[in-house]
Amino acid sequence: MQIFEYNGSALVAMVGKNCFAIASDRRLGVQLQTIATDFQRISKIHDRLFFGLSGLATDAQTLYQRLVFRHKLYQLREERDMKPETFANLVSALLYEKRFGPYFCQPVIAGLGDEDKPFICTMDSIGAKELAKDFVVAGTASESLYGACESMFKEDMEPEELFETVSQALLSSVDRDCLSGWGGHVYVVTPTEVKERILKGRMD
Amino acid sequence: MTKQQANWSPYDNNGGSCVAIAGADYCVIAADTRMSTGYNILTRDYSKICKLADKCVMASSGFQADVKALQKHLAARHLIYQHQHNKQMSCPAMAQLLSNTLYYKRFFPYYSFNVLGGLDNEGKGCVFTYDAVGSFEKVGYSSQGSGSTLIMPFLDNQLKSPSPLLLPAQDAVTPLAEAEAVDLVKTVFASASERDIYTGDKLEIIVINADGIRRDYMDLRKD
Repeated sequence: MQIFEYNGSALVAMVGKNCFAIASDRRLGVQLQTIATDFQRISKIHDRLFFGLSGLATDAQTLYQRLVFRHKLYQLREERDMKPETFANLVSALLYEKRFGPYFCQPVIAGLGDEDKPFICTMDSIGAKELAKDFVVAGTASESLYGACESMFKEDMEPEELFETVSQALLSSVDRDCLSGWGGHVYVVTPTEVKERILKGRMD
Repeated sequence: MTKQQANWSPYDNNGGSCVAIAGADYCVIAADTRMSTGYNILTRDYSKICKLADKCVMASSGFQADVKALQKHLAARHLIYQHQHNKQMSCPAMAQLLSNTLYYKRFFPYYSFNVLGGLDNEGKGCVFTYDAVGSFEKVGYSSQGSGSTLIMPFLDNQLKSPSPLLLPAQDAVTPLAEAEAVDLVKTVFASASERDIYTGDKLEIIVINADGIRRDYMDLRKD
């Protein structure tokens, strides 16, 4: 039994023109059995910063609670929101604290930094950051997502086209992975608004 | 005291990816030409594709020594068939022979992941996909090998195969033109080479149609 494949997950974040998209599947399973079909894997830290956690769901929930706590403290002390780069460092530090007994999660972080420049990154379970200019993927469907995103990605996509691309990449990839699926959850974030959409895909 | 285990394996994985797409009157079969072992490259110029019959071509990734032995075996059986029946084997017939040959070694398998492509007796494209022990299925398109998990979802998206459960039974072959299918294959391998370390160097593309068999090459990333 692989611990990273216990619950099943698919996460992707993609950069567009002054915007980004972050998307996940909606399945929560316990090995072969599906427990929930509306599981939220992506959370909002503030209007310009989102992150998703793939891997073991219990660790994802704990990490989420710890990170929200740390961000709220930061907001009280600094009287402002955290920048995405700073938040990524925070997540990396929290994960590396547990270097010899890690959280079994792979985070995907996406946000709008200074001058509305989109920022995305992913990490392994002990906090090694991977910054990317185009897209990042995580979860049991990650190999399929790499293939689909690599073929479909274009530079400087507008929000509507970015949404279409991310949705097609996500749905095609989870259809080839038994442990993820049951629809999709896509957030497209521009400097002015956040659009949340639910995708209907193969419900298996 | 624990049981002593062998630390020698008869198998190795030489990596690489193969793809085949069936059209209304053509079939495209492609594979990269990189042969690796572990993190090393053995050669950048090794063909994984073998012509088994006039209108039947097989691409195999996995352990190339087993692939070579399998190709030899099938070529020999095809020769015997030609002597006995005075004609070439059709693609569906070769498909069944390959399946039986693989299952014959069910308990010491050929470490070979195959896609068979060609034209059936009516001249329509057909693609058969296999696992290492001979389980096979006629499909509209398929990929095997180290890049297959990267390639398959994109092929699903572009070729939109209808569900085999629908009634009336719908054709799995793509309505795309031959040139479009070849372009799709090139795109797919370019993407796979970016993210799969075992795929790259050169792409060998075979197109089978009524005029015969054509071979093309395309350069891929060498890193």
